[in-house]
Amino acid sequence: MKTRREFLRSTMLGASSVWTVPLFVERTFADLHAGAKDLATQAVTGKDDTILVVLQLAGGNDGLNTVVPFEDDAYHKARPQIGKKGKDLIRLADGIGLNNSMPTLGRMFKEGDLAVVQGVGYPNPNRSHFVSTSVWETADPQARSNTGWIGRYFDNACPGSDPTVGISLNKTQPESFGAMRNPGVCLSSPELYRWIHGGGEKAQAEQFFESLNSPDAAVDGASIAEPSVGKVGGVAGESNLAFLERVAMDARVSSKKILEIASKHRSKVQYDGTPIARSLNMVSRMIAGRMPTRVYYVSHGGFDTHNRQANSHDRLLGQLDGALKSFFADLKAQGNADRVTVMTFSEFGRRVGQNASQGTDHGQASCLFVAGAPVKGGIYGEHPSLTDLDRGDLKFNVDFRSVYATVLEDWLRTKSQPVLKADYSKLGFMG
Amino acid sequence: MLPKAKNEWTVEEAAHLVRRAGFGGSPDQIARIHAMGREAAVDSLLDPDEPQDAIPLPSWYNPARLAEEQRERLEEMRESRTEGRSMTAAERERAQRMARQEAQRTARQRLMTASAWWFDRMMRTRAPLREKMVLFLHDHFATSSQKVRQPALMMRQNELLREYALGDFRKLTHEIVRDPAMMLYLDTQTSKKGKPNENFAREVMELFTLGEGNYTEKDIKEAARAFTGYTVNRFNGKVSHVKFQWDSGSKTVLGKTGKFDGDQVVDILFEQQAAAEYLPSKLWMFFVEDEPPKAVVEELAEGFRASGFQLKPLLREIFLSRAFYDSTVIRNQIKSPIQFLVQMCKELEVPDLPGGYEQLAQRELGQVLFVPPNVAGWDWGRAWINTNTLLSRYNIAGVITQGAVDAPGTEGGGENMMDQMAEGGGPGMKVVARLVGRNMRDWKGPDYEKLAPRELRKDPEKLVGSLIARFFQSDPGDKQRGAFVDYAKSKQGVVFTNHEVAELCHLMMSTPRYQLC
Repeated sequence: MKTRREFLRSTMLGASSVWTVPLFVERTFADLHAGAKDLATQAVTGKDDTILVVLQLAGGNDGLNTVVPFEDDAYHKARPQIGKKGKDLIRLADGIGLNNSMPTLGRMFKEGDLAVVQGVGYPNPNRSHFVSTSVWETADPQARSNTGWIGRYFDNACPGSDPTVGISLNKTQPESFGAMRNPGVCLSSPELYRWIHGGGEKAQAEQFFESLNSPDAAVDGASIAEPSVGKVGGVAGESNLAFLERVAMDARVSSKKILEIASKHRSKVQYDGTPIARSLNMVSRMIAGRMPTRVYYVSHGGFDTHNRQANSHDRLLGQLDGALKSFFADLKAQGNADRVTVMTFSEFGRRVGQNASQGTDHGQASCLFVAGAPVKGGIYGEHPSLTDLDRGDLKFNVDFRSVYATVLEDWLRTKSQPVLKADYSKLGFMG
Repeated sequence: MLPKAKNEWTVEEAAHLVRRAGFGGSPDQIARIHAMGREAAVDSLLDPDEPQDAIPLPSWYNPARLAEEQRERLEEMRESRTEGRSMTAAERERAQRMARQEAQRTARQRLMTASAWWFDRMMRTRAPLREKMVLFLHDHFATSSQKVRQPALMMRQNELLREYALGDFRKLTHEIVRDPAMMLYLDTQTSKKGKPNENFAREVMELFTLGEGNYTEKDIKEAARAFTGYTVNRFNGKVSHVKFQWDSGSKTVLGKTGKFDGDQVVDILFEQQAAAEYLPSKLWMFFVEDEPPKAVVEELAEGFRASGFQLKPLLREIFLSRAFYDSTVIRNQIKSPIQFLVQMCKELEVPDLPGGYEQLAQRELGQVLFVPPNVAGWDWGRAWINTNTLLSRYNIAGVITQGAVDAPGTEGGGENMMDQMAEGGGPGMKVVARLVGRNMRDWKGPDYEKLAPRELRKDPEKLVGSLIARFFQSDPGDKQRGAFVDYAKSKQGVVFTNHEVAELCHLMMSTPRYQLC
């Protein structure tokens, strides 16, 4: 198994006297040397370190029907058809109940392994899915940043690390992974995550393949000190070709390792057949295989419930709950439960009032979950008032960057300031 | 007007036009376009000699037949209601479930044929720019069959986009507002007086006409009132405006006040300067480069407004501009998955793919026709590429070139690989995978006797030169060329069969450079 680090050391060092090494490789290489002197670099990608799973609820989860203020008259008045009654909920605290499609999360709450953060949002909210998703993923309320918050964590706290420092179980790269240097990798099916070539002379073909998929001497590298461009990060001034070559190298280097781990580790726990369950199953196999990954990213879609929301929303929450049930049981069986924290997020909550189609429109503040054995369970933040509204929407009382700051500092153990570009008060749900 | 390129041009520039204003082509096709001269070539794309109905629609998409079907279904429903009275609740539920499943199965099959039909049309058409514009508009007015669930309505929208692809954009926007698939997708049909659904009004401004930042939340709320009262009959797709559900009160949208309906709001949107700039800027990104220069957008906007929002003159200006042929533009666009697949087929001169394979491949690469991820459409450019999709591109090239059909791990004619590709694809994809596995065995693949004649195989340098011209249409650089030649030499033994040529083609496509167009 060759890591990118080893690859660079063996291949690029040998070649650098002959080729003009593209700058990005050179800089990474310089980082490696610095890293070798300072063992902290190795520590961040250590195989026993803490792991964050970011779980996106795409489409704008209706927080009010997820964590329900069931004793509030204003709630039932605003939602005569789709409102939840107290008897249909799992009681969390006075007047607050969890949607009963989520028995696992209910149990975790009782056991102190689930933090419910209420009233999360950001100033001057945008109700566009795309802009608001960008806000959350870039941690920039102007949505102008070209890098994502997780990508900046990789850039700042994990220099010289392997591309598998972040793995997104998506076919496409999430904006939050946008990085100047190392955006992590994406994969959907580990068995296909490799170059498949025909013919008898496989080793020979692969040699050519490797040479063709190494950074090319003729390409202008750009300085990593430049700001990045585009929705998925990358280096300013870098041509599309240079970008492709970088991805090609990461793919090649990470593919062998991932393939090996995926074929070795199977789960003993049963998972549902839903996409979210399959994704979490993959994450657990990677963790079992001791990948040096610090952040996994999975997505659960369908929360844009404009129309007849009740059944579909409950079903989506139920799928989430079922997937998490298997995932946490699996981690426990592996002995990795203490290393993993799951954080959910969604781009916005829904309007307080239901619309004419028995659905809900795009709103502002919502709740999110932080779950896992390392979490200090409980309710954080205030349930926002249902009468003191901002144009029909809940007002937020927890800035989402406070949640990120807590996770970064108290779980990933890094300074949050360079990642979030400002200081945010922490919430205390991480131990 | 933007500064124009002169009429003389190189084959490389002609190939660039063929790739960007269409889906690429074989060396012969590029030579034909080149011989026309730049202006005539652009005109031939703008005025295709292929009428819209030249390619027969999927057989099920026949208005008379669909109407007949609706009558039958109504009849069935009536009957089952009568029968239902004599059933127990459990029996009734079971009957309903079976009817529902049957309907879903039919819908799924039809959507697949619709999607295969469109993909095939992109490969075969003599009006490639029109098809490329349909793809652009499908992204611009993104509507997903996952929510609409009515293949006939998706096809109807596809035909509507084709009708206006080189026509009047303002008129198309008016049509889209009352397009049943779009209405179902954005839940317009339930927006009523007193309870307007803001979603539609927001997307019309943000994504269809003005772009983010060119309107206020207040404008959206007011416009949403104007868009109330439109309904669509889920059964037959008929759209009507129900007066008593329409908010007839006075609204103020972008500074204008009146008792507007939806059409009037669309007209107000097109009076904004942002509307003249938004689409040209998106078209420049689609056809030319990631970041449109401000001056270019302003020039294009002026012409776009002056022509009354006609697409044809706008496209002519783009494809005749000097900037379009700039060396920083040529071969610096990342192929979309559809572009990657169709262009590869054209370069390999295969008339089709194994039935169903195009659907698996689209899924793997992140762009499924009729299923854009959300109302904003796909993210283009670098967003297509990550470690996963890049490896998938290489492996799909292995299958289509047949350079890797019998690679280790794909034993059994690649069915194992098909199954894995189908994994997570939702209902129906497993069935498709099995179907593809069967079709794969009967599929002829590229004709390497033609692509790489035996005579040529004796000279690896020439063979590689010819294949480079075919797949890259430009020089990939000495290092790459050298590696291809070395590989060809290593294969040039006693035999240099089609399989070795296929491997070489696969290797050429398994490069970062091949992802550019």
